[in-house]
Formats: sequence, C-alpha cells, structure tokens
Amino acid sequence: MQQTRPDLGAPASFTFPKPQRVSVGGGTVVAIDVPGQQLASLRLVHPFGGAVEPLDAMGVSALTSEALEDGPDGNSSLAPALERYGAEWISRVNWDGFITGLDAPTSRLGDAVRLFADAVRRPALTADDVVRRREQLLERFWLDASSASTLAMRSLGGQLFTGRYATPLAGGPVKLADITPETVARFHADSIASVAGTLVVVGDLANVDLEELGRIVFGDAAPTPERQVSAPAPPPGELPRVLIVDRPGSVQSALVIAHRAPSRSQVDLPRAEGVSDVLGGMFTSRLNMELRERLGYTYGAGSRFDLRRDSGVFFMSTQVEAGTTAHSVTSSLEQINKLRDGGVTEDELASVRESNTVGLPVTYSTARAMAGALVDMVVHDLPDDYVDRNRAGYEKLTAEDLNGAAVEYLRPEEAVAVVVGDADTLREPLAKTGVGPVEVRSPESLWS
Amino acid sequence: METSGRVEQYKLDNGLRLVTAPASTGQVASVNLWYGVGSRHEVPGRTGFAHLFEHLMFQGSGNVTKGEHFDVVERLGGDINASTSTDRTNYYETVPTHALDSVLWLEADRLATLREGMTQEVLDNQRDVVKNERRQRYDNQPYGTALERILRLAYPEGHPYHHSTIGSMADLDAADLDYVKSFHKAHYGPDNCVLTIVSDLESADVLARVEKYFGAIPARDFIPETPDPTLRAPLGGPVRDSVTETVPAAGVFIGFRVPAYGEREHDVAQLAAAVLGQGQGSRLYRSLVVDRPIAADDGGGSADILPFRYTDSLLLVNMLAREGVAGDVLEQAIREEVAKLTSGITDEELDRARAVLEREHLHSIASPSGLADSIGSCTQLLGDPELAYTWPERWADVTAEEVRAAAERLLVDDNMLVVRFDPESETAAETLQVEAEADAAANAPQG
Repeated sequence: MQQTRPDLGAPASFTFPKPQRVSVGGGTVVAIDVPGQQLASLRLVHPFGGAVEPLDAMGVSALTSEALEDGPDGNSSLAPALERYGAEWISRVNWDGFITGLDAPTSRLGDAVRLFADAVRRPALTADDVVRRREQLLERFWLDASSASTLAMRSLGGQLFTGRYATPLAGGPVKLADITPETVARFHADSIASVAGTLVVVGDLANVDLEELGRIVFGDAAPTPERQVSAPAPPPGELPRVLIVDRPGSVQSALVIAHRAPSRSQVDLPRAEGVSDVLGGMFTSRLNMELRERLGYTYGAGSRFDLRRDSGVFFMSTQVEAGTTAHSVTSSLEQINKLRDGGVTEDELASVRESNTVGLPVTYSTARAMAGALVDMVVHDLPDDYVDRNRAGYEKLTAEDLNGAAVEYLRPEEAVAVVVGDADTLREPLAKTGVGPVEVRSPESLWS
Repeated sequence: METSGRVEQYKLDNGLRLVTAPASTGQVASVNLWYGVGSRHEVPGRTGFAHLFEHLMFQGSGNVTKGEHFDVVERLGGDINASTSTDRTNYYETVPTHALDSVLWLEADRLATLREGMTQEVLDNQRDVVKNERRQRYDNQPYGTALERILRLAYPEGHPYHHSTIGSMADLDAADLDYVKSFHKAHYGPDNCVLTIVSDLESADVLARVEKYFGAIPARDFIPETPDPTLRAPLGGPVRDSVTETVPAAGVFIGFRVPAYGEREHDVAQLAAAVLGQGQGSRLYRSLVVDRPIAADDGGGSADILPFRYTDSLLLVNMLAREGVAGDVLEQAIREEVAKLTSGITDEELDRARAVLEREHLHSIASPSGLADSIGSCTQLLGDPELAYTWPERWADVTAEEVRAAAERLLVDDNMLVVRFDPESETAAETLQVEAEADAAANAPQG
C-alpha cells in the first residue's frame, strides 16, 4: 500500500557563514571554517580579467594564466610538483577576474601554499614556454570550436559589442598570435606579481594559520588598485537579426539567442535572475518544457544572464535537430514574448522564491561552492552578508516584480540569434521566419 | 576491512538495502538510488533501452504527474538527475533536510507505480529527446562515436558490453509501451536497489522514514536472466577501426582489456593509467605535450580506465594531434610510451600517481551527493559501503614492480585496440591529388 504524499515541513533557516577577514601586508585573507572538510579550496583573486586588456594585447591574461602552469622552474614543472602534495592547481581568467588557486588536502596545505606563492609571484615565464603555450592555445581554439555549442557561444561577443568583448576571452585565433613573451612578462609583473590581491580559503581550518598563509602568499606586494569601468558600445547592424555560422553537414544546430543587458551592479539580481529562472533557468522552465518536453526538438534548453562589472548579456541556448531549427528560433522568441505579455503564474513565482531561498544549504554544501561565493564577493565588491541579502530579496519578490523584470530585462527586439549549423539548408527557413536579416559567415571569417 | 562506524547498513524485508552516512555540512540530505540494471541487460534489437527508461522515470507515475518530480525538487533549490551505465542506473536528489520525506515518497512512487503513469505520448516525446541527446553527444560531436567504436572492437558481437548505453536510432524507434512496462517489472524492484542517504539525521530516524515509504513495496516476483558477460577468447589484437570524417585534428584512441573493477589487478592497472596519462607529471603529458610536442594540450588527462564490474574493464588512452602532425606519428609515439612501461616505473612516479588518484577520490566524495553516489557504488558493486572512504588504501601497497608486471602482461599488442580519426579535407585532397597524378601518368601518351 502506497503512503500518501507527505507534507513538507518548515525549512530550517539558513545563514551563510560569516567569513573571517585578516589583513596581512597589502592583502586580505577571507576565510570560512568548515569542520570536517578535508579538501580545502584556496583562491587568490586579482580583480582584473579580460575586460581590461588593451586591444593590442587581447588574450594576454588567458595566456599568462596558462603559462603560470610552467612554474618557477619552467617547462611545465608546477603541476607535477603540486601533484606530489595531492594538490590541484587552479588558474582561470574570466572577464572580471584573474584567479589562481589550489584544492588540497588540509593536512598538506602549508607545503602546497609555499609552492603556490612561488608559482604566482615568481614564475619562470621563459620565452620557449610562453610560445609553446600560445601555439597550444591557438590550436586548442579550433579544436574546441569544432563543437557546435562552443562555436555558437564564441560567436556571440562580436554580435553584441565593439571593443574587447567582440573578441573571445582567450584572444581568438588571430589576436592571440601577436602576444609575445615580453608582453606576458610585463603583464604579469604589473598586474599579478606586484599586486597582493585577496586570498580566499575554505575548509577545515582547525590547524591552519591564516596570517601565515597571508604572509606567504602576499609577501611585499602592493594593495590592489581600483578598477575603472566603462560600458562598451554595440556594433552596427539591424536588430533583431540572425547569424548563421556555417558548419556543413550538422545533424543538429546550436542555437544562442542573446541581447545586451545592464551590468551586475545595475541589475536587481533577484528580479532579473528570477525572471530568467522562469524562462529557462530550471528543468521545469518554459523553454525546456516547450522545446524538450512538448516538442521533443532537443536534449535541453535554458537561459541565463552573464553579468559583468561594466555590462551584461542575456542569452538562451539549446541544440536542436537540424530540421527543427527555424521553428525552434520562433518558438523560443514566442516564449520570451509570452512571458513579457502575460507575466508569470503564481506557481512560477513560488518556485522562484522557494528555489532561491530554501535551497541554499544545497547550494553551499561544498568548500568549492563556498569559495566560489567568496570569489564572487571579491570580484564584484559585494558585502560579506551578500548571500543573505540576496535571499531576503527573493523572499519578498512579488509577481509584479517579476512581470516588471520581464519587460525591463528581456529584450527580444534587440536580440541576435546565432545559429551554428548547415547554412545551405538553414538559410531559407530562417529567412522565412521573418525574425530579421540573415547573414551567413564561415567560422574562420569571424575573428580576422 | 576496518569498520570505522561512519556508515550504517540495513536491509528491509523486501530486499532493499539502505546505507546511511553523515554529511559534512548541515541542513542537507542527499538521496541516491542505485538500481542493478544497465545496458548490459539489454538484448539485441533493444539497445539504448535502459537509458531511455531512465528518462521515462521522470515522466510521471501513479500519483505524480509529468514534470512534477523535477518541479518538486527544483523548487526546493535541490539538485536532481540520473544516469545510466553498462552496469547500473542511478537516480539522485540533494535537498534541504526538511524535504527528505517528499523525495523518498517520490522515489517510492515511481518504483511502485511507474507503470500506471506511462503513456504512448510520453514515450514518443522522450524517444525524441533521447535521439537528440544522441545527436548532441555522439553524432554532431567530433570524435563523438569513439566510445561506440571502442566497445565494438573490445567485446565480441552478442556480448552485453558490445554496444553503448545510448543505443542505436533504429532500436530507439522500436521501443514500445508494453516493453517499457515489462522492463520496469523485470528490473525495478526494491530487491534490486541500494538506497544511500547522506544527511545530518540519526540513522534510526532515516531507517524509519525509509521503512515508511518503501517497506510495503513488494520484491520482484521473478528475476530476469542476465546476459552472459564471459569473454571466451582474448582480444586477438591489434584490432582497429579507422575513420575519416570531419574532425579538426587526427585523434588516437587506444584501448586494452584489463581486469574487472573491484579486483586488485584493476587497481594496479589504474595506477599504470595514472603514471601514463593522469596529471601534468604523467609520462604522456611530459613526452608528447611538453617535450616533443606533437599532442594537443589536454591538461594531463590522456589515460584512464573505463570500469566494468562484470567483465574486463578497458584502459583507454586518448590524444589529439597537433597541427601538421600526422595521425600515424602520434599513434606510434603513444604506443612507444605505453610499451616503455614494461621497462619499469620509479617509486617517485608511483607516489605521484597515488597522490593524483587520492585527490580525485577526495574530490569525488567532497559533496554530499558525491559521497552518496560513491557509497551506493561500493555497496552495490562490491558489497562494502566503507570502501567509499578507504578506497585510496587499495593503492597504498601496490609496488612499482607490480605495475611494471601488469603492463608487461596487459599493455601489449595482442590485447590492444585502436580507433583512429583522421580529418577528411587534407587526406581526401591529398589522395585525390595523388590519384589524379597517377591517372595522368597512366594516360600519358606513350613514347
């Protein structure tokens, strides 16, 4: 005999752990103690990413980030040295941050951190290593772009922005080739080695001396300077429009429909991300329910905001069976318009509110996830109680808030639909949709 | 095996095995169900069915409507998903603790009453979804068919591991509603399930809840025969499959049969794979990415083991060629590096390999859902949940000589398969050019 469905009890209240802050020399250590968490996550944040690169050095951050892996002794010696401590080297660049770090067993953290500090502050950066890394990155660009969805995402920047964002983060296949070992060395000396940054540490800290960690990592580096931001301009061209990036013979099309959005600090996050959740942030969101669960066109469809310090992007993405491409574009736009015109249901409002409040213990159930939240706070200058404030924002969200956000933040009339697929068969059906002018480009022509 | 008291194990009267373990952060409950059914149970003409069935488990049951299972968990901010492999199908959710009962009820409902919720319409829809999953992961992806080709070479026709879990388009088309129902009846019983719950609740409390929701579901009344996974002959290698298609660079996939997951020799082979191709200190990375350099930088992930519990596993090596490097050159270089293992490895290499594998293991159990999954795996496949915590000890006393000896026995040509991808454009263009020249020469007027 089946039991009847149980009632949900009341959720326990959740408060994001208050981080400890320790100032050491020119930098700050921000830490959360998670007793019992054997694998510590350590992240050093320099709040300068691809967005501030000069146009004649696009990709220098990504290349430097890669070249750090060669270590103080060069020749790709860092990772193997760390591997002996069971530590994993982490180095990544996004538009607003240059992030290095380690995931390491807390028992071996001290030794691993000394090696880490040397790797960040005193890398060899030999010309041979930098050139080898650059050639690998250039080739990797096309290897990765042979996947339709990656190619679609990389094609987007040039459709929405002029300036730095028009070229992919790693510099693209052309600009990156111009970066010399000298450029890398200069960038590293000016922006990384000599700048303290902020150190994030999460894990079982019972036997960890945070001040000592700070001393090792910051040394005598200077405090992090302020970063100036200014919003980039859009490129010319009629909106909305369709760009087909030709990938002959594709049995599926990768589809990204995107438009510009305000910057992270300009956006009311619970309202914006709440409305994106309704449209495509969850399995049960409208796009996935329509394109996957009703029409069977795709394995999955979703949407989200990519919010940066000086601007933002909203996009929906999916991969659909080739023959359904045109209908998938119009159906997706239809879903956006329906949401703007008709607003959200009470059920959707409840779902957004609940998933972003009661679910926080799930979101922050690992050291990595907590470290991620702290990195976000450093990069975007958010207060220590940011997670709790955001939760409070979701708790008081109303249907009117989300309906207003749909009109304010979803702009199908300003969208570009990028379709990576077989141009010969897609051009006509996409033109017939009447979404806007259709342009066909080869991947090789996008980043000359 | 030492018992540390980290986990508690129970068996319900209907055969359901329950394991409970503590979570390292508060207020969460991870629920993980491992059903002992995978693509190895599929019969010819029904490939891909175990996985298609996994999709159908989210489409509603006796008391749950289509989409509702996802909806309930997502609005709790929870994580939810499922996966199918050769050996098992797992379903998992991580939710705030107060929602544990809801999730148990949902899981129990689809175990007990899925057949009542199934319709032709949802079957047709999910078949289309899975066919698109196949396109996205296999057919529209460079090198996407590598795994299928590897399995075809590694296991003979008719062997339950000869085909991949995604199955063929034709077999997916052939799936019908009666078969869906009979599959559920045959494989989805509490006696074929390990349920793991990682939370901060007392285990007696967890047991009481599980009894309440699962206790009355009857065990299966018959247990279907499992296709025989015995391998009757050695691989007889080298065997190969050469593919010329639209790929951005030549790709080399080399595989060797190694002992089944759970056997000591499997652990030895795992260390051999780590020495060879895991981490940037590994031999293949040092030699072919840094020193020569003829292989694309994969960050140090060129060798690993595809673990199978009920037949030989596969040690797989995969690298892509740099621009201007021929597939033959890369393949030869990889084979030489593999062969060098038979001359021995240093203790330093072995220590590094152990540290890399240990870190990977720690990482896999660092989240409550990862821990639950690992416990479910160790319980169902090996009957010992504690292994989820102690697994790295299995590598501790393996010696360098054992790794060398395993390489000498296993990583040899007659136990080797090769799947090679070569890009279409250049080879085709070159071949045409050569043929044209040959034709021109043949047709040239004679003296």
